[in-house]
Amino acid sequence: MRIFQKTNFNFIRYRKIAYGFSVILLVAGMVSLVVKGLNYGIDFRGGSEVVIRFEKNADVGQIRSVLDAAGVSGTLKQYGMDRSFLFSTVFQGDTGQLKSLVSNALNARIQGNRHEIVRIDAVGPSVASDLKWSAVKALFASLLAILLYVGIRFEIKFASAGVIAIFHDILTVLGLFSILGGLFTFMPLEMDQSIIAAFLTIAGYSITDTVVVYDRIRERIRGQKPSDYERIFNESMNQTLSRTIITSGTVLLSVFVLFIFAGPAIRGFAFAVFTGILIGTYSSIFVAAPLVYDWLRITKSSVRLRGSKVS
Amino acid sequence: MKNKRFNLLLIAVVTLVALWSLWPTWSDYSLSKQLDSFASSQDSLKYAMSHREEIDNARKKSLKLGLDLKGGMHLVMEVDQVDLFEQKAWNKDGKFAAIMQNVRAKATQSDARVIDIISAEFKSENIRLSRYFYDIRNSDQEIVTKLEKESEEALTRAKEIIRNRIDQYGVAEPVITTQGSRKIIIELPGVSDETRVRNLLKGTAKLEFRLLSEPEVTIRTLDRINSYLAQNSQSSAAAGGALPVSDSSAAASASLPPGGAPPLAPVSKQSSAKPLYDVISVSPYGTAFTAERSKEYVVSLLHRSDVQALLPQDSELLLAAKPEEGKVGEKLYAIYLVKKTPELTGGVITEAKATFGSQSVQPEVMMSMNSEGTSKWARITGANIGKRIAIVLDGAVYSAPVVQSKIPNGNSVINGIGSLEEAKDLEIVLKAGALPAPVRIIEERTVGPSLGADYIRAGMLSLTWSFCAVSIFMLVYYKKAGIAADIALVLNILIVLSVLAGFNASLSLPGIAGIVLTIGMAVDANVLIYERIREELAEGKSVITAVTQGYDRAFSSILDSHVTTLSAAFLLYTYGIGPIQGFAVTLMIGTSASLFTAIVVTREIFHLLLAKNLMSDKSFG
Repeated sequence: MRIFQKTNFNFIRYRKIAYGFSVILLVAGMVSLVVKGLNYGIDFRGGSEVVIRFEKNADVGQIRSVLDAAGVSGTLKQYGMDRSFLFSTVFQGDTGQLKSLVSNALNARIQGNRHEIVRIDAVGPSVASDLKWSAVKALFASLLAILLYVGIRFEIKFASAGVIAIFHDILTVLGLFSILGGLFTFMPLEMDQSIIAAFLTIAGYSITDTVVVYDRIRERIRGQKPSDYERIFNESMNQTLSRTIITSGTVLLSVFVLFIFAGPAIRGFAFAVFTGILIGTYSSIFVAAPLVYDWLRITKSSVRLRGSKVS
Repeated sequence: MKNKRFNLLLIAVVTLVALWSLWPTWSDYSLSKQLDSFASSQDSLKYAMSHREEIDNARKKSLKLGLDLKGGMHLVMEVDQVDLFEQKAWNKDGKFAAIMQNVRAKATQSDARVIDIISAEFKSENIRLSRYFYDIRNSDQEIVTKLEKESEEALTRAKEIIRNRIDQYGVAEPVITTQGSRKIIIELPGVSDETRVRNLLKGTAKLEFRLLSEPEVTIRTLDRINSYLAQNSQSSAAAGGALPVSDSSAAASASLPPGGAPPLAPVSKQSSAKPLYDVISVSPYGTAFTAERSKEYVVSLLHRSDVQALLPQDSELLLAAKPEEGKVGEKLYAIYLVKKTPELTGGVITEAKATFGSQSVQPEVMMSMNSEGTSKWARITGANIGKRIAIVLDGAVYSAPVVQSKIPNGNSVINGIGSLEEAKDLEIVLKAGALPAPVRIIEERTVGPSLGADYIRAGMLSLTWSFCAVSIFMLVYYKKAGIAADIALVLNILIVLSVLAGFNASLSLPGIAGIVLTIGMAVDANVLIYERIREELAEGKSVITAVTQGYDRAFSSILDSHVTTLSAAFLLYTYGIGPIQGFAVTLMIGTSASLFTAIVVTREIFHLLLAKNLMSDKSFG
């Protein structure tokens, strides 16, 4: 079976349209980030969260009013699909107290529908800021590592364009999180540690497709005249199109399974990785390689690539 | 040819090691299934007894499940370094207290190390650290180094003490580690009574024996505070402010009808002639009490520095740990005026035992002391016959018995304990020793066992479906070559699980997510190779040449993509905490394993097939 056999798309000629599309995507995300902001989870915000599961269907409003009447202030949301609710409130060092408060109130006021507190998380403000910093450090360290590695294996122009593409992917996903955050009850899209894990996975994987394209360009560009670059870039991208799509496709397939089956705790992560890989595949064809092409064209330099062995 | 044989051997060894490492997991699983299958619990117990060694062995070496899958508690505790450094200082004066208060405020807000905050504060006040710490001849730098060492030691000691407490409480496979300079991470799988564990861990367990002041002194002191407060409230009332004062005294509330709802908190009032005696009542014998509902207010009152200035030299007012029943069932807390300097501290305690008291059903904890403590205790009790000595644990008075006679054998008793369970916990913390400084819980994550079971089910579903989806896709898209990729994929999953089991790492929900993601990524290398082989075939090369060149030429992009994924996963592991590390670990193992399975294993399969003439140019779809 084959998809995309012998394609001949002129990616380089239409790159400006792709640039425009990317810019719109990024600007929309940025605007939403500024206006609406992000939904931070307790990992980064600090606070306490209680997941309550009921035996039978329960009404959010009723539970909310019961908890309000008991003097536990906080927000209550549907959690996942299965009669579970997530109650979040400010950080309390003694979660035992919070648990008994919630439990007593529900036992007294909602009869005939037993509940169980299946999870309690409490994150103090100092921990939250620690987590935030280590997330930022991890993200930048990995971008730097990728820049260095691709710089050594290829050339700094290729590496920079690859890292720009990663930025593009992560910022787009971040923007999507801001735009779609809180819109779906089955997927709250809160920023927490797992989303940082998703971003690092996207960063590591986004470059995978890019490297596949780069590798082919490297193989074919040796000793060619700069005037032939446009043809070589186009041919390389067309030749690798099928493998780019299929490698991403298998990952998308398994992440989609994760999104469907792995439950609400993983859903935000799966969503981030799914969209990230989708955008990453697009960007390796429409952002990374065209950027290298433009860079070479504007600086009028020829490529001196390392490590290109032709066997 | 030699090289080929080596590769085959390598594959065989890796497969066998993986299976061997996963064998205990399998036998643990089948044994527990067997145990469940018995009709009566008696049969299953008998089976468990006869196969005990086998079961224990399997369980010890099997793949561990993470806290989120098994249910349990994850706690992060922080050692109060400000308190620790305060303890280390000597000739503390008002200036020192003011600086340390600043330090405490700053430490809660910033991430900077406490020791750096302290040295910066002292520098800005132009005071040398040696005025309060260690030797006067030490330079600031020397003192900072010494204090750093102190805090390191305190952290290790706190960790050991917490480990002792948990071991004595009895939790299977606790994991206790330190992080940074002041954090202790505690993982307790399968804990059911979280509140009890939390209380067990939280207390400093600082035991002190302190002399009680004479009743007259206590009454005089309380009188002094009362008149000071009255003056103060009058002047503040004149200024328009109002002190929060209870509207009814403890004595008055004791005469309330039992069913009457007492006010929840002290209600503010314009002014009162007896602000203190509104919330405290004094018995004719000189014992002071406060009612439970005004306890918080009294504590805050006693902590005020202007109130503390009114106390006699080297004294402080402490509340009882447990309330006593008032005349009409009102809960009353006794207030004691005790010496600040303890006569003896808990460091001398060698043994503690929770029992029921001889005359009553009240539980109590008996303690015995080492030789140094015994002789000191004999001297102290001998010199204070007829006086009262308070037994203070973590700043609360448990009891204040009158010394009847000299105690020569180093025995003492804590009573006034609510339940036997609590007495047992006291026994544990006293045996384990006191923490060098207070600790507090700054992060806690508790997962109930039912949610853990849900997570396992969800994780297994995701694993199965993603494996099916990806392997079927490979078969459909690449035909015969897809079989090789699928075999490689199975081996890959086996390797990930066996490495986790072999290194005693545990599998968490994020870890399962990592494996699912690995399934999608592991076949990528094969896709790159197969696509390349298709290209070579399209150029009209023979199958053998196409396979060889396909592997050779795809290698550089496979390596590059794996290195980038690995480095991202590695950094995630380095900077990530807890569950995220589990994800990073499985992703790292899976990515590295796929380099081996996708390149070496599939290649050997093709070699075998080619040698038997089972491959044609149609075999790659």
